[in-house]
Amino acid sequence: MRVVSEKTQSAAAEKIAKSLSKMDGVKASVDERTNGTQNRYIVTVDVDVENWRATAESLRNDHEVDYCSMITGIHWPESEEKTWEIIYHFLRTGVTDPAIEEGVVVPNIVDFSKVKGKNVPLELQISIILGETRTPSVASVQDIWVGADWNEKETWDLVGIVFEGHKGMRRVLNPHESPAGFHPLQKQHKLRYHDYEEMYDDAQGFKRKPTDVGKVK
Amino acid sequence: MGPQHPMTHGLWTLKIKVDGETVVDTEPELGYIHRGVEKICESRDFTQITTYCDRLCYASANTWSHAYIYAAEDLLGVEVPERAEYIRLIAVELQRLASHLMWLGAYGPDIGNLSAMVWCLREREMMMDLLQELGGSRMHYNFPRIGGVKRDLPTGFALRARHKVKLFLNRMQEYEALFDESTIFLIRSQGVGYTKAAEMVNAGVSGPNIRAAGVNYDIRSAHPYSVYSEFDWEPAVERSSIKGADCYDRYRIRMEEMRNSANLVLQALDKIPGGAETYHEPGDPKILAKSPSRAPEGTSGSHHFEDSRGESMFYIAGGGDGRGKKPYRVSIRSPMFITIPYAAKTMIGYKVADIPAIMGSFDPCIGETDR
Amino acid sequence: MSDEEQNYSMFSSRILVDTIGDVTDDALKASGMKEIIGVLAGRLFNWGQRKSLFPLHLGIKCCALEMAAAGASRFDAERFGVFFRSSPRQCDVLLVNGPISKKFADPITRLWEQMPEPKWCIAMGECAISGGPYFQSYNILEGVDTIIPVDIYIPGCPPRPEALIDGFGKLREKIIRIGAMPSHARIDGTSPVIIGDD
Repeated sequence: MRVVSEKTQSAAAEKIAKSLSKMDGVKASVDERTNGTQNRYIVTVDVDVENWRATAESLRNDHEVDYCSMITGIHWPESEEKTWEIIYHFLRTGVTDPAIEEGVVVPNIVDFSKVKGKNVPLELQISIILGETRTPSVASVQDIWVGADWNEKETWDLVGIVFEGHKGMRRVLNPHESPAGFHPLQKQHKLRYHDYEEMYDDAQGFKRKPTDVGKVK
Repeated sequence: MGPQHPMTHGLWTLKIKVDGETVVDTEPELGYIHRGVEKICESRDFTQITTYCDRLCYASANTWSHAYIYAAEDLLGVEVPERAEYIRLIAVELQRLASHLMWLGAYGPDIGNLSAMVWCLREREMMMDLLQELGGSRMHYNFPRIGGVKRDLPTGFALRARHKVKLFLNRMQEYEALFDESTIFLIRSQGVGYTKAAEMVNAGVSGPNIRAAGVNYDIRSAHPYSVYSEFDWEPAVERSSIKGADCYDRYRIRMEEMRNSANLVLQALDKIPGGAETYHEPGDPKILAKSPSRAPEGTSGSHHFEDSRGESMFYIAGGGDGRGKKPYRVSIRSPMFITIPYAAKTMIGYKVADIPAIMGSFDPCIGETDR
Repeated sequence: MSDEEQNYSMFSSRILVDTIGDVTDDALKASGMKEIIGVLAGRLFNWGQRKSLFPLHLGIKCCALEMAAAGASRFDAERFGVFFRSSPRQCDVLLVNGPISKKFADPITRLWEQMPEPKWCIAMGECAISGGPYFQSYNILEGVDTIIPVDIYIPGCPPRPEALIDGFGKLREKIIRIGAMPSHARIDGTSPVIIGDD
């Protein structure tokens, strides 16, 4: 089976990293992950929050990054350098619509061992760090990648990061009646029975339901 | 179309605005089985999280636990022995086969072909027997471990697997006859739900759904992992129509993917280093490498994985409770979470009766959507 | 009064119907026939109820696939009279096979209330019994019996299809014992049956 070779991927990753580092507020580098059967080269980018929108547009237009994989929000209440971190994962797929010849579609079979230039598939990981703030907010990229739409909704719903310019923000996983400001993945919300003693005090497992208080097995 | 509806493959609501019989606008309503797995994983050890990842998409449990394990190995920096990679490949491809069979068994009744369900579940029972021999239980196997797999191929597994997979390959013709010669199926699935490849990729759709539109993008070849590069196979691609891929193309691509997975399993049984008949005890370094159990703060691991439904991804940030024994944040990317809103928009312009056909052809599985 | 009205008024007179009913009732009671009819009819209804349990076509999570496998050709549940129906108005049994989230608590109570009496509830799998592996979650109720009275608990994650069919068998035995008591009267009276607790 024909797969992308390590050389092409690392060369393409270096190229993007160099060109991105030229933009201001952006620090890009290539991270080599060696644990799999084949080394992977990931372009890791650190962007300041003010330059994010410009960087995103450049990624889409100049480097043809066309697939938004995931948007993660992390809350670091105890770290010194950062309080909120938003991590975007993108892929450059090199997918184009198949050509149509004489009214029949010709499937676009790419030989991955021979891709070059802007078609080399790549992984990108972009990290935006915010300091101490009660309303972390980042520019939305909903219009650049349609796939970012529901990812942003989920990140707001679970972590509480506001995406400026996002139309139609709503609760997607939590119930609609959740109280405003309830974002479960923030670290001040603890799980039920987070302190184990509470669970082991109730070894019979009875006090979990209100009707069972006082019962003995 | 509410949470309790035979059409919905899982528990979600689709709000539809209609004008007569034509669909004008749709809005999916998810979150009915939101379990907060990402939050729960923050207070579990790395090995304990594998059990949760099985239950994310229950139709295709092995692919999700392997996706997590690859990301955890990236975080902890573990090298996996080659025999373990082959065993993992056998488990993942068998599971992909079973997942597509489950899809077909649910898609047939959507179109109206009720015998498809019984036939497909019968084949799926064969695959589940094989997976039960490997993993120990019928549905949630907890099979991979960080650094390898939990146990080797049991004695006689190769014989049974070859027999059952070859039997399944012969039966594929019956399935194709059942569907392709059924006029109702052809009418209901052709010409319905057109989607184009580049638009889908921008919307975050991947996997069989875009390969049905004439592009051969597959994470296994574009971002290679595991030992797929050593086999002789190509990802299945379907020649779609000018307007894009319709439901029939998405059905055909999954049939081809089932054949691909079956062939991969047969090839892996032939090529596995050490032979498929040798048995190593659980914990043997040939199938399980030693791995650290703590991930200090500041490290992170991620892995893109080709799931039966698209591209799934785990991002794990290390440095949680227990001085790094637990992850600080586990973030899960579910292909269906992004595909379902896109599929809901595909339905605009078609009739209400086309909704089950279109929705079913994208293969929704709500377990992974709602994490 | 015309002839028609007179005829109708005679036969539709409430007093006449009530009188005939009371007379028949007293006669049946006196001759002991009423008890016999009651017992026979009760036994017949009980036999009919337990031999043809119609569960609701509700699939919440993983145990739904085992429910589907139980209905498929290898572990055929239909030979026991168990046939899945889509509309709650036509069902006897609510088979809860997954964790109940806060968002779904309302719809499932509505489904339960839409089901006509006599109805039973089976909690299948760990998530429905006590929240399962997600008992610590912020969004999952600790067991479906916090909102719906459960008759049979089937442990397992997921329980094998044979266990589900055995669960239906235990439900049949329970129906023999309790008959068709309405569900709201059953909460304190009868204890739930746990599979494996022989």
